[in-house]
Amino acid sequence: MARFEGELIDTDVLVIGAGAGGLLAALSAKRHGPPGTRVTLVDSWLIGRTGHTAFSNAWTIVVLPDDDLDGILHEIVAGNDGIADQELVRQSLMDSHARLKDFEAMGMTFARDEHGAYKRRPTRGLDLARVMYPEGGGLEFAWKLRRALEAEGVQLIDRMFVTGLMRGGSDRVVGAVGINSRTGAFHVLRARSTIVATNAITFRSGFVRDITGTGTLLAYRAGASLRNAEFSYVRPGTPKFYFEGITFAIQEGAQWVNAKGEPFMQAYEPEWGDEADVPRIARAMAMEQRKGNAPLYLDMSAIPEHLRDYFIQSKVRWMDNFFRKLGDEAKTDMFGKTPYYALNQMTKMGIRTGADCRSDVPGLLSSGLAQAGCANHFAGFHIGLCVGNGWIAGRSAIEDLDRLSQPRLDQGEVQALFAETMAPLQPSAAAESDRILRDLQAVMFAYDTGVLKREDRLRQAYERVTALSDSFKTIAAPHTHELVRMKETEAMLLAAQFILGASLYRTESRLSHFREDHDARDDDNWLVWVDIAEGGNGPAFTKTPIPTPYCSVTLPRRRPSRLAARQSIGGV
Amino acid sequence: MIESIELAKCTGCGICDVVCPADVIHMEPLPATEELPGLYKVTSLPVIKFREHCITCFSCEIFCPEGIVDVHPSVKNRPRPW
Repeated sequence: MARFEGELIDTDVLVIGAGAGGLLAALSAKRHGPPGTRVTLVDSWLIGRTGHTAFSNAWTIVVLPDDDLDGILHEIVAGNDGIADQELVRQSLMDSHARLKDFEAMGMTFARDEHGAYKRRPTRGLDLARVMYPEGGGLEFAWKLRRALEAEGVQLIDRMFVTGLMRGGSDRVVGAVGINSRTGAFHVLRARSTIVATNAITFRSGFVRDITGTGTLLAYRAGASLRNAEFSYVRPGTPKFYFEGITFAIQEGAQWVNAKGEPFMQAYEPEWGDEADVPRIARAMAMEQRKGNAPLYLDMSAIPEHLRDYFIQSKVRWMDNFFRKLGDEAKTDMFGKTPYYALNQMTKMGIRTGADCRSDVPGLLSSGLAQAGCANHFAGFHIGLCVGNGWIAGRSAIEDLDRLSQPRLDQGEVQALFAETMAPLQPSAAAESDRILRDLQAVMFAYDTGVLKREDRLRQAYERVTALSDSFKTIAAPHTHELVRMKETEAMLLAAQFILGASLYRTESRLSHFREDHDARDDDNWLVWVDIAEGGNGPAFTKTPIPTPYCSVTLPRRRPSRLAARQSIGGV
Repeated sequence: MIESIELAKCTGCGICDVVCPADVIHMEPLPATEELPGLYKVTSLPVIKFREHCITCFSCEIFCPEGIVDVHPSVKNRPRPW
């Protein structure tokens, strides 16, 4: 066992995770705090060049003064089948215009037309909401925010992998401990307020496999409750190449077809057809596959020639490089029929907070997708909500500073966290966490577990995950690189248990949670959040009714196809 | 997945290491001479240390000021289709 040794960093507000939710939380805390307020932002890798935000197009919902705020709120709530914190979503939408102005003041450019109006477009699964993106996409978005934080005096610490939250022998959180993700050096980050913004867990799948979402599980261990685990789902992706932009491809004429070349979305989603949101597409694909109609394809051949370069020369710089190297053949494939499989687990489990982003544990707040504000985020609402709840979390953290006493370290706790962090290190060991992760993916990504659920299969999956967790206890890490991956895998194993447990608990079907043995939505009994808290002998699942202060959780059914009403992307 | 870095043209600036979100590239000192083990060159150079964990984000290639990093758009590191 390594001898205890570490460095202490003291701050007022500690933000963990530097995607949109963390970047905005740090900015908000700095701006809301009195002069001299210390705000520290840490991330496992380079702030501004890591996380889902940086590798996305950074499409974001912005509600302009003339937009229908209440209508947009209603369609988001209905699109979540009611699983949304209406207060939080409304506040985020209301603040979005002010944030847009902040972003422009940082030097971001959002395209406008010849009349000076912002170029915006609709997004999949929503009618009224409009999305826009900054020039340069996520890499510019995240980097300009980094620069702005530096200029405003926020302390940025790159390569800080947080391994535990501290309670300081009290009923609150007093900061975190972590290691330098390269050197393994141990750090104690003492803070009066701590904001966890570490995204959700993706089981290292999809196109941004550095999103591991460990912070939510650390919050759970520190006494916070989690929620929305059962709405995690497996979404389709193509094994042939990366493609960021399905939403807009569909709006321009792409459609889902089965092995026989038949379009199938309309049969499952009469209202939205191919323009249904991702959880509903995933479910339709799982059912179509079960009928024996796989492989399933995204057929992009109907996309007009003059728009094809738009999809290649995207705002996402890595995608441009990607297709340039693949050559013409890939382009032909892409605009022909591309097979799609279950590839990407979208975990929706986040930390339970109020609309103020405070968790149940004093001193612990949450933002970004680590916060359980919604269970369905649409394209553009992922970042839209992260921007919104980041701003709220930063403000709440500052308000808390006066209420929370000076944080004290608990010597025994810090030493125990150090020992727990370093315990797996064994220089002679083989790196084996990838093997366990692959087995975990195989359990969680199966359509019969991740999309079409039934009690007996969920229980079988639970047993397999339990066996993998037992197997995990026997492995060790030869170096820091593997130590970080092991900690992430450990969190994923715990997340898998929560996802399966919550899926068993909710005996109805709603949104991306589809139980074949309880296939109807039941608003009388299940318009609730399923909360997960440590119950002494493992996780305890409880219901919390969802308040509906602003709107109902349904919208009148509408038809017909929305494609005709879409404007062309032409230059947007 | 990252393929190669043309070390003969590398200035050792370390940007590829710094921007990597998967800890794949490490700047490491190179032995200066065979005669005296333990003596290292002043400038460290990048080593592709954990190629199997590359997420094909192209960051190293995009941000390399010398344009000497080659990332291949291989997708073999993705989860397998079920």
